[in-house]
Amino acid sequence: MTVPVEWYLVLSAAVFSCGVLGVLTRSNALIYLISVELMLNAANVNLIAFSHFYGSATGQVFALFVIGLAAAEVAIGIGIILVLSRNFGEADVTLPTEMRW
Amino acid sequence: MATAFDLLPLIAALPFLSFVVAVTVGRWLPKEGALPGIAATGASLALSIWAFLTVRSEGAYYDNSLYTWVDAGGLELSFGVLADPLSTMMLVVVSLVAFLVHVFSLGYMNDDDLHREKGGFPRYYAGLGLFSASMLAFVFASNLLMAFIFFELVGLCSWILIGFWFREAAPASAAKKAFLVTRFGDYFFLVGVVGILVTFAGATETPAAFAQDGFPQVASHFLESGEGSAGLWVPGDLATDTWFSILGLLVLGGVIGKSAQFPLHTWLPDAMEGPTPVSALIHAATMVAAGVYLVARMFGFYAGLPTVLAIIAFVGGFTALFAASMGVVKNDIKQVLAYSTISQYGYMMLALGVGGYVAASFHLMNHAFFKALLFLGAGAVIVATHHHQDMWKLGGLKRSMPVTYYTFLAGSLALAGIVPFSGFWSKDEVLYDALLVGLEQPIFLAAYAMGLTAVFLTGFYTFRMVFLTFHGEPRSEHAADPEPLGWNVKGPLSVLGTLAVVSGLLNMKPVAEAIGNHDILYLERWLDGTLGAGIGEEFSALTYHHYGTLVHDVAHLEEASLEPFAPAAVSLGLALAGAGLAHKLYNVPEPEPATERLGAIGDLARHNYYLDEFQVWLATGVTEPVARAANTFDQGVIDGAVNAASSVTLFSSERVRRIQSGLVTNYVVVIVMSVIVFVLAVGIAGGWFL
Repeated sequence: MTVPVEWYLVLSAAVFSCGVLGVLTRSNALIYLISVELMLNAANVNLIAFSHFYGSATGQVFALFVIGLAAAEVAIGIGIILVLSRNFGEADVTLPTEMRW
Repeated sequence: MATAFDLLPLIAALPFLSFVVAVTVGRWLPKEGALPGIAATGASLALSIWAFLTVRSEGAYYDNSLYTWVDAGGLELSFGVLADPLSTMMLVVVSLVAFLVHVFSLGYMNDDDLHREKGGFPRYYAGLGLFSASMLAFVFASNLLMAFIFFELVGLCSWILIGFWFREAAPASAAKKAFLVTRFGDYFFLVGVVGILVTFAGATETPAAFAQDGFPQVASHFLESGEGSAGLWVPGDLATDTWFSILGLLVLGGVIGKSAQFPLHTWLPDAMEGPTPVSALIHAATMVAAGVYLVARMFGFYAGLPTVLAIIAFVGGFTALFAASMGVVKNDIKQVLAYSTISQYGYMMLALGVGGYVAASFHLMNHAFFKALLFLGAGAVIVATHHHQDMWKLGGLKRSMPVTYYTFLAGSLALAGIVPFSGFWSKDEVLYDALLVGLEQPIFLAAYAMGLTAVFLTGFYTFRMVFLTFHGEPRSEHAADPEPLGWNVKGPLSVLGTLAVVSGLLNMKPVAEAIGNHDILYLERWLDGTLGAGIGEEFSALTYHHYGTLVHDVAHLEEASLEPFAPAAVSLGLALAGAGLAHKLYNVPEPEPATERLGAIGDLARHNYYLDEFQVWLATGVTEPVARAANTFDQGVIDGAVNAASSVTLFSSERVRRIQSGLVTNYVVVIVMSVIVFVLAVGIAGGWFL
């Protein structure tokens, strides 16, 4: 039995919305990072679903790129979180507000 | 083997080198920079004489593209050299006077206690070196733009040297005045240069050049034959010759400023605040001559423009009389000489205005010799008497300073125009030329009459100066016991004294007429390119003969025919009358200040006809309110608009920047909302929801 492509889209949209909601509502930096990962993976699900649907490998290659990018992003994100907790004592993204005009 | 013409640029390069040496290591040299200056100007003199002799044996030389400065397709701006009879004559005169002034400076500056105390000699010799270099380069310049550049450089050197003792108020202010007044004239000159470049750029490849197919040749060819107007640029529907006259008058602005002609002469008497050798070199013999030389240099352009010629003649004649009348009442020996310089340059302009190209060049050369001599003589008196310049505090120096006295006397006789000293021959030729033209065109007769009246005044003020300074009894202790002077003062005086006596023999017109032998008019033949090997076929446009044709056929200045003896006798008689009056009034043991009896006229002349006050009023009473109004407009309207625009931006950005909270969550909200709005907008526009 084949799963219709719409189901993948619904799953991807649900995961993406979870990510957005996390970014919007949570203030812990780690949760933030995890939410971003959710959004990225929602995109990956999309890419692979359409890749399968069209029978082309391009989408899967892109998914691999996104995973690589996500790894790099986590490396930088963890670095930022370390600096955050060193400067403010906790990893709360609402604390640093000085980086503006 | 290099010829003299290959080495022409060296004539200016060597004094420039001495400038560099004086500026960099001058203070550690013996005599603080004087010796390189003497060596450089001496070498320049030798090279100039060599160039002069080469022109005589091989004809003129012209190379307009020694160094190309700007090459913009059709228009090429370059530096070059032009060695023709006029420029090599001037080169010899300038380098000779520069050399003698350098030698004299040893005695005037280095050997004088007061001047040694004030110091700054390397700066002084650097200024002299730079001046000599720029003046010599101006003289052999092959095109108008190069001439302009060096014309400005000599002005700069004049400023440096007038303000040499800049710690005192008077020299500093005199330097500023000299610079500003001459700059005012030079501004017109600059506009004229650009105008000439634009006008002639289409008609010839070298629009600024003086020789070959430069602008004087193109212009005179057009005026002569009416041909060649195709490439000329003329603004609007002006007649071409009117436009040429305007260009000529613009260039004349620079000439009037530099040669201290009315009404821009006011800087020259003030310039006497500079060291006296500087006055001799710059403000008598050479730099002031630059203006007259420039007119002579481009005489092919002026010779065909009767209006401009008339203006030149009138400015010259008027200045000759006007300046002489002020020289009569001055008590400072250098002031008398300054006004006499202005007056003598008036004569040269008068000569040029009536087409007397040879007479003007002749007087230019003679004047360079005798006026440099008089200034150096005055300098000798000044150092010998511990800086006394007021003639009423001098007197009786004849016995104690014989060398100075006799050379000064020779210079004075030449200045007053007493036969057979040099000034007589040249001034007489100027007046003779003016009279010949004046008899046919009565309007020039007025200029001649002013020049003739000035002869009497010249004789008077010259001998008033001589008698008050050297004759009678000493009127101060310093005049009674002057310091002895060294060879470095007496040497230059003797050389120039000899020249003041003999240089007039080069062109004795009345004698030539009397004996019917025109071969003895050496200068006329020289400037006509017929002496020696001849000037060369391609330079025929630079000859006196050609200029004479232009003045006669194009400008239509007719000349009466008259023997030169009666006019010569009249001017000699007037000069003698002036000298005689001075003798009667001042050659007595106890001279009275007789010019104070002149009453109101004397007062007027003593205050320089209130021209200084008038010019100050022009600056403070007219220019300043206009500038103030313009400033208000600028600050209020133009700056106001700009400021208003910027304050709107500032105010709105102050409000808009509040969006930046620095809180990362807020940014995410904005991004998400934007995406939603964007998607909705695209959707509505695309009709998804219908």
